[in-house]
Amino acid sequence: MRTNRFLIALIALLAAALLYLAAFWEPLPQRPVEKIVPHGQLPPGTAPAGGDFVLQGPQGRVALADYRGKVVLIYFGYTWCPDVCPTSLSLLAQAIADLEPAERERVQAIFISVDPERDTPARLKEYAPFFHPALIGLSGSREQIAAVATAYGSSYQKQPANAEGNYAVDHSSATYVVDPQGRLAGSLPHAASPAQIVAFVRQQLAAANTR
Amino acid sequence: MPAQLSALALAALLVLPVAVTAADSNLVVSDAYVRLMPPGTTTSLAFMSISNRSGSDRRLLQAASPVARTVELHTHIDDHGVMRMRQVAAIDIPAGGRAELRSGGYHVMLIGLRQPLQEGERVPLTLRFDDGSTQKLEVPVRRPQPALAAEPPAAPGKH
Repeated sequence: MRTNRFLIALIALLAAALLYLAAFWEPLPQRPVEKIVPHGQLPPGTAPAGGDFVLQGPQGRVALADYRGKVVLIYFGYTWCPDVCPTSLSLLAQAIADLEPAERERVQAIFISVDPERDTPARLKEYAPFFHPALIGLSGSREQIAAVATAYGSSYQKQPANAEGNYAVDHSSATYVVDPQGRLAGSLPHAASPAQIVAFVRQQLAAANTR
Repeated sequence: MPAQLSALALAALLVLPVAVTAADSNLVVSDAYVRLMPPGTTTSLAFMSISNRSGSDRRLLQAASPVARTVELHTHIDDHGVMRMRQVAAIDIPAGGRAELRSGGYHVMLIGLRQPLQEGERVPLTLRFDDGSTQKLEVPVRRPQPALAAEPPAAPGKH
């Protein structure tokens, strides 16, 4: 009899635990929006300054200043990248799709290649719209790309090529957010959810409206 | 009658799940897919989950596919926000546990695709394990994020 009661109590406890888990367990906790994380290239404690740049886009020269009045989302990556870049760009594309049409008019998403040797403007024109028709890909000289990456706190490093000439490029995977005045407002960490990106974009749009 | 039989056999083949497991294998592959990449991209990868129902640790040693010139096992190291993709010699599948090949971690990398992969196409992929067993899979090609399937069409004429 005692054993039975004990068993019933145990079953009740386990059932309660199961219900609790079913209701509250989050296998992947949402990461909070992080402030700018300086990457390798900047001295410790130096916040990246961001700033204007001019690179080569699908129709020629593209300047960040062309997008004054818009929130600009910048992601550094390369088209050979099989996982990190497509994942990040898909999340970014989903965020853009989740915006209201009026908000979308005030947002520009940019993919900057850290592999300009393979990623020509023509290659990026073929690549970027796959994720979202409004995403544009930019390339430039090695020096231009390095200058922009450093200014934004992004870092990358080309790895040695194998016998077939294939190589990977290690790179930081943050999404940088530029406010409508062209200032670097902050960055979102790798694998930030569309909801996190949308929230950051709306913050910037709201701040611009109250100015 | 033989025609009916072969039709039946064909129907049975068509409804076979993606994870075709050898009857004597304790390794079960599930949720396998190859990522659909943008036009002109010569790389892709396969993600999957591999369960090990045996009492001993197993290792995935090699993957092969006719769609790519080279197939390698890779992982990612998140080094303070810098994603470093590296080849690995094997992927451990602990006894009674599973190996997860998913974004940001392990994957089967397809390098030098011989032709563009189409959404919904099934890619032959053979996995070889350290017990000498192999598994032949037919892995469907899918878009990067399932959520994108629900994406509304872009506003017309605005871009």
